[in-house]
Amino acid sequence: MLKGSQKSTNNYLIKQLPKATVFVDKRKAIVYMSDKWLNDFELYNSVAIGKNIISLFKNSNPEWQKSISQCLKGLPNLTLTESHQNKNGNKKWFELHSTPWYDENENIIGTILQAEDITLRVSTETKLEKLEIISEDISDMAEIGFWDYNLAEDKMFWDSRTKGIHEVADDYIPNFIETSNFYKLGHSRNTISMTVNRAITKEVPFSEKLQLITAKGNEIWVIVSGKPLYKKGKFSGMVGTIQNINERHLNEVRTKENQRLLRTLIDNLPLSVSIKDLESRRILVNKSEMDFCNVQTEKEIIGKDDFSFFDKARAEITRKDDLSVMRDRKPILRKEVNHKEENGDLSTYLISKIPLIDTDEHAYGLVSIRMNISDIKQKEIELRKLIDVTSSQNEKLINFAHIVSHNLRSHSANFSMLLDFLASEKSEPEKEKIMQMLLDASDNLLETLDNLNEVVHITTNTSLQKKYIQISKKIEAVQQNLGAELEKHKIKVINTIKDHIKVRVVPAYIDSILTNFMTNGIKYRSPERDSFIKLSATVEGNYTVLHIEDNGLGIDLDKYGEKLFGMYKTFHNNKDAKGIGLYITKNQIEAMRGKVTVDSKVGQGTTFKIYFNDKD
Amino acid sequence: MTKINSICIIDDDPITVFGMRKMLDSLVSYSTINTFENGKIAIDGIKDMIFDGQQVPEVIFLDINMPIMDGWQFLEEFIALPITNKVRINIITSSIDSTDEQNWNLYKGQTHHTVTYNHKPIRKQEIAEITKVA
Repeated sequence: MLKGSQKSTNNYLIKQLPKATVFVDKRKAIVYMSDKWLNDFELYNSVAIGKNIISLFKNSNPEWQKSISQCLKGLPNLTLTESHQNKNGNKKWFELHSTPWYDENENIIGTILQAEDITLRVSTETKLEKLEIISEDISDMAEIGFWDYNLAEDKMFWDSRTKGIHEVADDYIPNFIETSNFYKLGHSRNTISMTVNRAITKEVPFSEKLQLITAKGNEIWVIVSGKPLYKKGKFSGMVGTIQNINERHLNEVRTKENQRLLRTLIDNLPLSVSIKDLESRRILVNKSEMDFCNVQTEKEIIGKDDFSFFDKARAEITRKDDLSVMRDRKPILRKEVNHKEENGDLSTYLISKIPLIDTDEHAYGLVSIRMNISDIKQKEIELRKLIDVTSSQNEKLINFAHIVSHNLRSHSANFSMLLDFLASEKSEPEKEKIMQMLLDASDNLLETLDNLNEVVHITTNTSLQKKYIQISKKIEAVQQNLGAELEKHKIKVINTIKDHIKVRVVPAYIDSILTNFMTNGIKYRSPERDSFIKLSATVEGNYTVLHIEDNGLGIDLDKYGEKLFGMYKTFHNNKDAKGIGLYITKNQIEAMRGKVTVDSKVGQGTTFKIYFNDKD
Repeated sequence: MTKINSICIIDDDPITVFGMRKMLDSLVSYSTINTFENGKIAIDGIKDMIFDGQQVPEVIFLDINMPIMDGWQFLEEFIALPITNKVRINIITSSIDSTDEQNWNLYKGQTHHTVTYNHKPIRKQEIAEITKVA
């Protein structure tokens, strides 16, 4: 056993050891203990001396006891890692060394235990380990390979991923100079050579997106980065990464192409397209929409609602529509909207609004499509007018064809019948009578043809020049012509039309029209009273209206109204020669783009109203 | 020779009337023949006959296109008259308007009188066939 003084000297020496150290005897009872140990294991009372070391570390690794025992048998240098929980609950890591304790006679008298606080190292190692795992994962996911060039050894190192990207065998040995040969001839190869060169000479790192042709001949896009390394100011090598971005690049290209395609498409549509947010502010617009809103750049329109471009009333309507589309999540399709343009023109638009709905079924905006259909509308109106004109002309034509056919047929029927009689007639005076009738029939036919010709002339000469004439002068002239007839039947003509009133007419037609109506008044006078024909004029819109009123027999319009101006009767042998008078009159009036109406009461009289078109 | 009491011709064309009469003279024997220039004169005349207790025509030749009152308007008023005897009405027209033929079908079904539809020029042979008591 050690002497007391020696023991205390030893104790003193050991106490001051910079390393946490304990000396335990064969029974594992603590003999000496350094202050460091005391501190590290937070054994503040020195009561530890003499205590069994194992009892002090109850939760310790069982390996520990074993190693102490082994030490006692002379098997040294066992290193163990041991954790110890301190008072604050923090875990501390120690590396434990046990060495046999020899006396001067080389007898093992115990074990020397040394503990080194490796908490910091352990945590760093753990961090590093984690980082390595993460970096490995990232590299794996992003397909990033690592490379390294050492100038001194002229050695190029590629990791397995770099090799994978180049599609070379695992045992491939890269060469710094030849590396650039993997890059596609042209831009990529030129760039890699130049940038590497520049990196070395100018000491700058680089990162380039280039095309690489793998050992297997596949063309891929990569991002290659490098950083030159220097030792004592001299270039010593280079480290870097290489990433396969082919898929990403192709997707980008595809996306860009799609975007461009979409843009081209919407910009060239003959429709105004805008995408709006919940507040009806424009998020995206096409060219036509910018034109429609009269702006030059997207900046002037993006983020703005209709109140910025339309008057308040109109903007309120569009906003209301937008809201209803987004609220009901139902589109408005092909709504026809009229809009007065700045220049006063009336435009018609077809508007469709389609809600944009997210995955939660909520509307987050809408697509608004506007098409100007003013031209189509205009064409439609013109077409409708044309159809009206055509169908009315067609009706007239059919009517006329029937008239022609009927009249000619009646004459030919008469000829045929009379000739039949003539052929079989024996009596001379009867023959003569038939001959006379044939002559009459021939005259009638000629007259009919003249009349028909006149109708054709009127309906085909619609472009006859119209002139302003003084209507009351014309009336006077006609009155003069009919003077004898008027006098004979004692018919008073009352003309209240002022001298200055003029109408736009074809002069030849107005004579015929006035003559016909006045003759009509004479023809259908009432024998029961003093007859008159009253003429007056009014203005209705674009028309000057001539009223011709008589107090004659009157016509039952319910029965004969539609026949009055029609061509339902034959021309021949009417006692009043102008058999088609009113028919021709009506055609003349219509040829001057006017109209004629009639009002009549049996036993009271008839009033004709002739509308002369002053504008057209 | 067919014997008919009373015949009536309604046509505004004197040549047709002349021809009809000439053919009828050689075909049938009749007691009276009346001619009217248009539907209005005809219907007034027939109303007078009824009023005076005279015999209503047994056969009527009717033109369609006439002034004032045409054949159809005449027919409409005629079939409304209280005539119990069956009268034969022969329409004779130079019209080729299909609405006229439609009208004929319409009126034919509305009356107990016999109504026929014939085109001008009409031949003696045809006149012989349609000139009889209905």
